[in-house]
Amino acid sequence: MKPILVIGMGVVSAIGLGKAKTLEALLANRSGVGELKYLKTEHKEFPVGEVQLTDAEMRKRLDIAEDAVTTRTALMGMLALEEALADARLTQEMLPQVGFISGTTVGGMDMSEQFYLDYIHGEAHKEYIAAHDCGSCTEMTAKRFGKFAFVTTLSTACSSAANAIILGANMIRCGEADIVVVGGSECITKFHLNGFNSLMILDTQPCRPFDATRNGLNLGEGAAYLVLESEESAKKRGATAQALLSGYGNACDAFHQTASSPDGEGAFRAMKEALELAGLQPSEIDYINAHGTGTPNNDVSESQAMKRLFGDKVPPVSSTKPFTGHTTSASGSIEAVFSILALQNGFVPVNLNWSQAMEDGVVPVSQPTKKALKHILCNAFGFGGNDSSLLLSNADFSLNRHCGLDPQSPKRQEPVFVLSAKQISIQQPLSEDWMQNAEIHETPFTRSIDPSFKDYISPIEARRMGKILKRAVATSKEAIKAAGLESVDAIITGTGYGCIENTEFFLDALSTEGEQLLKPTYFMQSTHNTISSLVAIQTKNHGYNATYAHKGISFDSALQDAWWQFQLGQINSALVGGHDEMTDTFYHILKKGGVMGMDDEKCGEAAVSVVLACEPMSHVFEPFETSLLDKSALRQAQGPKALCKLIGFQMLHNPSQNALVDAVATLLQSAEKSLADVDFILTGMSGNHEGDRAYREEAKTLFGDKPLLRYKHLFGESFTASGLGFYVAAQCLKAGRVPASLFVDAKEIRDMQPKCILLYNRSDGKNVSLTLLEA
Amino acid sequence: MDELIYTLKQQIIEALNLEDMKPEDIDENASLFGEGLGLDSIDALELIVLMEKNYGIKLKDPSQGKEIFKSVAVMADYISKNRTK
Repeated sequence: MKPILVIGMGVVSAIGLGKAKTLEALLANRSGVGELKYLKTEHKEFPVGEVQLTDAEMRKRLDIAEDAVTTRTALMGMLALEEALADARLTQEMLPQVGFISGTTVGGMDMSEQFYLDYIHGEAHKEYIAAHDCGSCTEMTAKRFGKFAFVTTLSTACSSAANAIILGANMIRCGEADIVVVGGSECITKFHLNGFNSLMILDTQPCRPFDATRNGLNLGEGAAYLVLESEESAKKRGATAQALLSGYGNACDAFHQTASSPDGEGAFRAMKEALELAGLQPSEIDYINAHGTGTPNNDVSESQAMKRLFGDKVPPVSSTKPFTGHTTSASGSIEAVFSILALQNGFVPVNLNWSQAMEDGVVPVSQPTKKALKHILCNAFGFGGNDSSLLLSNADFSLNRHCGLDPQSPKRQEPVFVLSAKQISIQQPLSEDWMQNAEIHETPFTRSIDPSFKDYISPIEARRMGKILKRAVATSKEAIKAAGLESVDAIITGTGYGCIENTEFFLDALSTEGEQLLKPTYFMQSTHNTISSLVAIQTKNHGYNATYAHKGISFDSALQDAWWQFQLGQINSALVGGHDEMTDTFYHILKKGGVMGMDDEKCGEAAVSVVLACEPMSHVFEPFETSLLDKSALRQAQGPKALCKLIGFQMLHNPSQNALVDAVATLLQSAEKSLADVDFILTGMSGNHEGDRAYREEAKTLFGDKPLLRYKHLFGESFTASGLGFYVAAQCLKAGRVPASLFVDAKEIRDMQPKCILLYNRSDGKNVSLTLLEA
Repeated sequence: MDELIYTLKQQIIEALNLEDMKPEDIDENASLFGEGLGLDSIDALELIVLMEKNYGIKLKDPSQGKEIFKSVAVMADYISKNRTK
């Protein structure tokens, strides 16, 4: 690939606020890990790497009122983002051309864990309910600085920020964006401190990655953002590179929900892909900033992966976790900043606290080392085996390198074929019968009708899975089968609230029984990426794997990720999912917080799995040929015909009327269509009066008198209901007809043989996605 | 001892969510991990929680579980010798 410029960065962690303080601490070998000071917990026995500011002090620095709704993750995010934007000389006026992609997993959990019982029983603190999810955290962080062109949130546990960097880079390489701000933020919460404790992977001593006596990790917190820019754009603006992102890889270990494989398969593939994308040899890597958490399991697995890739010539390695603790979702970008500081200042950060080599492990750098560095691999691995690796290079690394994969110039976007779509909802599960007999349910909150899961999951595996996981596995396996494939190149999932049932169990125990004897099963199923990684484990898939958690555009974000990777030619097939479950308690809470269930809005649950491919029939395309072996094993037998084609996609954040008009024009133009070709607009109108009015008003300006159809009254509103919209549109195009139930009122019903449908989704009145599908 | 073994089987079924099983279905001498019931590392952590909750036994190091959780009978024996409640 053509390297992408890093033109600015900002960071906050236990070792300091800002780049200068961070560099000083790294050079002085000064750890920020110490006794727990700020988090209110009874577990004082664990050392942690806390950012040395209270919430109140951060509010004061940022001039945020004491009673304004915000969370610690958002506050740290703002501190880092402020520095990054200033460092890149990005002004507020420029932001409508800039994207913002952030990674987090805890979101607003620091508040939810304090106020959970109030949320259920009272009125106090209910304004914080809407700040619980990951997407809200990203939007709170972004809002302070102005209006970004688009925002979304990656949630792949401890590799979230690294995957945010990867999405940003893909969008720049496609020419979809010139500048994208990428990274992540995460504060320590009682929730995950207790969760990690239930998994028995926390050390009561300072962590010692790659040491024979290592006994677990220390939790940390912080945030970091990088400003990525294309070479052309930077040249035009006169912006200079601080470093280059010259490669990256994302692979799934597909081994276990919380443990890494003994041979480090996922880590090995992620690092190997990063080298290949950059066109570099293993011998050209000068330093590896390892994930190196200090748990017995990670360090064995990562050592194996490095030895497999580098043989007996493993470059200097260190883990910087002893400086900061494990900053979980933010670690990918925080450590990318550390790596860039190392490139700029010519030193290898020391692996603190190391003294004794572990069996079969790498021997890390334990003494201060001054050394000119050209290329650094920076690893970030997450639960479920979401492994990513970034390749960062010195700013003077030749920009003229080009290794084939990038589109040379903007071109017409290639269509992507929808080979299959399967859903579980309140309508007939896993079948297409709903078009004949769609039932309208009158209750405000309905649960999905589940099929028997016995055909998809063995009882010993199923006993630990929440319903969201069973539905995801069943729809995924059905969709892959219906597509006539044995495997896919990528598994990408969207979920607004993730595994909320297990989150509730864990929060409930934490709030009512206290911080002892919590069940690890609940915790390991509370992370959003459990869904996508479990599907990978169940389908033995080592390919690209990512999870988006951004409110009502979670499915759309997953679709967008796949769309750009298809445009780059990085994948030939993808499984895109949208999964959300609901519980009685959380429905009650979210209704109280004004998040859902307003007016006539009915709520439901959603599980949708869609298989996309670069060719209309599975037998036509060859296995994906890269030097990565068996990246996908596409069967060459005759497959079923595609349901329809995805011919265009756009996502916007808080757009002005003009921006929306432009987006629709661009969408149609790049698909070589005009508005006259579109048969109808399938809207996400849900029965929320204000929301539906906005849909109608906007649609009038954008689409004139095109018929507006809806689907949420059949399925209920859920965070990934837009995935069901995609499913409905695909079925209509395949069948060549539109069920009467989709029309808003009987007067409009007409005989229609749709050829082209525009899906129009607004979430929270802020995020808009436009998806163009053709028969 | 038989009573403890029976109670322990009930507690294991509940803690590990072995929905379709009854205490009679578990052979107290069969291995819990691998070949026998087919449990994994997360189940081992759940058994550690179970022992602390019901019998006041605190394991500091998860690797201790390897010996103790060989079978229900071994586990019961360990509990009867070390229980604090």
